[in-house]
Amino acid sequence: MTGTKGTIVKLSLVVVAMYGFSYALVPIYDKFCEITGLNGKTNEVAYIGNDIQKDNRFVTIKFISNVANSAPLDFEPSVTEMTVQVGKAYNTHYVMKNNSSKQLHTTASPSVTPGKHAEYFKKVECFCFEQQTINAGEVKDLGIQFIIDNDLPHASGDIILSYTMFDITDSVKETNRL
Amino acid sequence: MSANIDHLKEEHHQPSGLMRWITTTNHKDIGSLYLWFSLLMFFVGGLMALIIRAELFQPGLQFVVPGFFNQMTTMHALIMIFGAVMPAFVGLANWQLPMMIGAPDMALPRLNNWSFWILPFAFTMLLSTLFFESGGPAAGWTLYPPLSLQGGNSMPFVIFSLHLLGASSILGAINVIATILNMRAPGMTLMKMPIFVWTWLITAFLLIASMPVLAGAITMLLTDRFYGTSFFTAAGGGDPVLFQHIFWFFGHPEVYILILPAFGIVSTIIPAFSRKKLFGYDSMVYATASIALLSFIVWAHHMFTVGMPLAGEIFFMFTTMLIAVPTGVKVFNWVATMWKGSMTFETPMLFALAFIILFTIGGFSGLMLAITPADFQYHDTYFVVAHFHYVLVPGAVFAIIAAVYYWLPKWTGKMYNETLGKVHFWMTTIFVNITFFPMHFVGLAGMPRRIPDYAVQFTDFNMIASVGAFGFGLSQLLFVYILFLTLKQPVTAEDKSWEGAEGLEWTLPSPAPYHSFDTPPKVE
Amino acid sequence: MKRLSVFLVTMLASLTTMADWEVNMPRGVTPTANAAYDLHMLIFYITVVIGIVVFGVMFYSIFHHRKSKGAKPASFHESTTVEIIWTVIPFVILVGMAIPATKTLIMMEDTRNSEITLKVTGYQWMWKYDYVEDDVAFFSKLDSDSNEARQLGSKKDVNKVDNYLLNVDNEVVLPTDTKIRILLTASDVIHAWWVPELTGKKDAIPGYVNELWIDIKKPGVYRGQCTELCGKDHGFMPIVVRAVPKQEYTKWVSLNQKNRVADKSK
Repeated sequence: MTGTKGTIVKLSLVVVAMYGFSYALVPIYDKFCEITGLNGKTNEVAYIGNDIQKDNRFVTIKFISNVANSAPLDFEPSVTEMTVQVGKAYNTHYVMKNNSSKQLHTTASPSVTPGKHAEYFKKVECFCFEQQTINAGEVKDLGIQFIIDNDLPHASGDIILSYTMFDITDSVKETNRL
Repeated sequence: MSANIDHLKEEHHQPSGLMRWITTTNHKDIGSLYLWFSLLMFFVGGLMALIIRAELFQPGLQFVVPGFFNQMTTMHALIMIFGAVMPAFVGLANWQLPMMIGAPDMALPRLNNWSFWILPFAFTMLLSTLFFESGGPAAGWTLYPPLSLQGGNSMPFVIFSLHLLGASSILGAINVIATILNMRAPGMTLMKMPIFVWTWLITAFLLIASMPVLAGAITMLLTDRFYGTSFFTAAGGGDPVLFQHIFWFFGHPEVYILILPAFGIVSTIIPAFSRKKLFGYDSMVYATASIALLSFIVWAHHMFTVGMPLAGEIFFMFTTMLIAVPTGVKVFNWVATMWKGSMTFETPMLFALAFIILFTIGGFSGLMLAITPADFQYHDTYFVVAHFHYVLVPGAVFAIIAAVYYWLPKWTGKMYNETLGKVHFWMTTIFVNITFFPMHFVGLAGMPRRIPDYAVQFTDFNMIASVGAFGFGLSQLLFVYILFLTLKQPVTAEDKSWEGAEGLEWTLPSPAPYHSFDTPPKVE
Repeated sequence: MKRLSVFLVTMLASLTTMADWEVNMPRGVTPTANAAYDLHMLIFYITVVIGIVVFGVMFYSIFHHRKSKGAKPASFHESTTVEIIWTVIPFVILVGMAIPATKTLIMMEDTRNSEITLKVTGYQWMWKYDYVEDDVAFFSKLDSDSNEARQLGSKKDVNKVDNYLLNVDNEVVLPTDTKIRILLTASDVIHAWWVPELTGKKDAIPGYVNELWIDIKKPGVYRGQCTELCGKDHGFMPIVVRAVPKQEYTKWVSLNQKNRVADKSK
């Protein structure tokens, strides 16, 4: 029966390994998205390099916004469209208003469309890097500074930058309580 | 037969009554338990399908509210996949593998008992969620977040029962592999194994590789809901699409887990009733193995519409189309086996023939679905519903029914009534087509799946499908009646019940003795 | 399978008398939907031909190589040559399918040079439309007639409701002969936006943005539905697109600019 025992041990190891693999898929997927622009996620920490050259090309950036789960927030871009020079830093901002009667914690999730262009959209500053706190009735300007990388392929078409604002007040409270 | 039983009673001192079944470690007892349990679940899941079809008989809501309808579609899928088809195959493996490879029993009899007895508990838990105030799971069997995260209290129970079912399958698969690799009769090399054994060996490896991934995916879902992780919520930097990737990384191999043993059954029955050896045994083995390998790199064809990069869409389209090649080889080999054979058409053969035709139709619609730009139209419509029911009902379920008719005389020593068997076959085949063929039409015409109500232009075909579904359900009561009649008879079946049957199991007496081969047979 | 063919014939026969026996995908009114239709028909015909050949051989064998006709079984059971042939031939056919499919796919994914952008947001259970360049925005949900008739125990006859389940309170108006980029996202759970005659579907995923493009060649009203299970009223969030000539569209935009959300969302 040593044969059987050996088989069981080996197969059990495969089972454990495959369970581990399902968790390994999480970072693999993130890396994969980063390379291919699969889900249009942009850089999650500020871009601080200075290797981007100015380029004599212009692209149109369109700004859109969403509020998740119909949270009591107004959230809009201050301008809906900018034509920007490739390689040059620009500033713009979104405006958020708290329509509820209590303080809210929020976080924004960015998405660039087409996703494959996400890697050329470099954010120097962004409100999406951290959580926001907004008081009842408060109106807040949320700034971003960005550069379009000169590696952007020619004839790329318009780039769309979207932010979805999530109300995470409940989970923040939960964490504080713990 | 009576001599056999006396022999058993003397030697084994087993408890009688219910305790015999609870404590049994015998592969035949456990095989029977699996098969009866699967039949029960087939009717439970079928009842849910009939609730669905009753509601869809005409437009407007007549019987159930949309929320309950969604619970029915979700439960129907979970019950049929994990409760009916998979346990039926494990039951067949339990009965047949030791007999086919010349072994006395399975390699791990106690584990075998466990893997079965987990099932009734898991399904009791799963079904009990229907009686919760917030109802059972209603997000589809695929449990996509964020919708599944919105669900009521049923979610942790569903996930726990899925964990149990997964554990049961993994234990079963380990047992199958351990048995096949270590307990074959002397002289039976891998390439001499019966084809059913081969397909089960490959299926067991698929189970081992894919079930833990499902376990991981649903565990992440659970921690997202209750422990503040955000694997799948965009608010915390996660991505709901990631769940779909992990789920289908399990889900596509799962699809083949549901069909490879069926290939094995058909590859056993067709030669038996053609009185001719299986054509291209080696290529059948290779084709099965390549289908299994390909199943790990095609998963994203279930989710072409999530917005993948172009390169990804092309990759998954090509790999998916590639599966048509080994599948085609199998179909061609079956046809070549029949060619210049000497065929008779007993019930198992009829079901196997219907399998080839109807499964191939399901394969064709599968090929159409693989074409990404066209899939954007087909995806999540009744065309998809038609497709997977064609490969699962006249596919997997027909193969299981064929196997039961084919091996029933070996298991019980009693022959079923051939006329009734044929009536059962024709009713089943006619109604299965009346049920599922019109679904192609409404799907192409634009009817989405998983909806409790539809626009009036879809009425006619939906009525036909509903009539078919009730007919199909009634035909299966005939199946139960046939089984009942068979079991009531005295033992008369010959050891070799079919003229053209091949394999070690037919060298045993009918019914097969409690321990299949006490002394291993010699294989040339 | 004789019965199946009888069934099919009866069905086809009744096609002439009943308009509701639609058995095929509708032809599209955009280049993308038309390309999908053409591919669908191409693959369908190929599978029909393969089916006739394979089932033809099989049925020949079933009728002629049966024991009752005195057939004696042959003994052949393998041939590497044959196996290679029926591996290679399907492979070649598949390559023949893959080429047009890939071309179509590349065409479908090219959203560049669009003239207008429509943002579509899925909600449980309605759609919101934002005309990104034009400051027009509104919600669109199942019309009240259908909504009344669809309730369990409703006395209203669904057959008398105008476009039952496929009608909305606010239609999306879009210009013809214009490349339109559609951005898809959702507020709560995953939805999918599908109007068969205009385009294949794509998922609307909360937190992420997907895109599609359409170019409608024929004015008209086109209807569709949500196609990703999104909760209890998944079956009740239709889509209606009215395609009008460009001038008419411009007029519509100027009439509807600003604050339309406030007016119509009630």
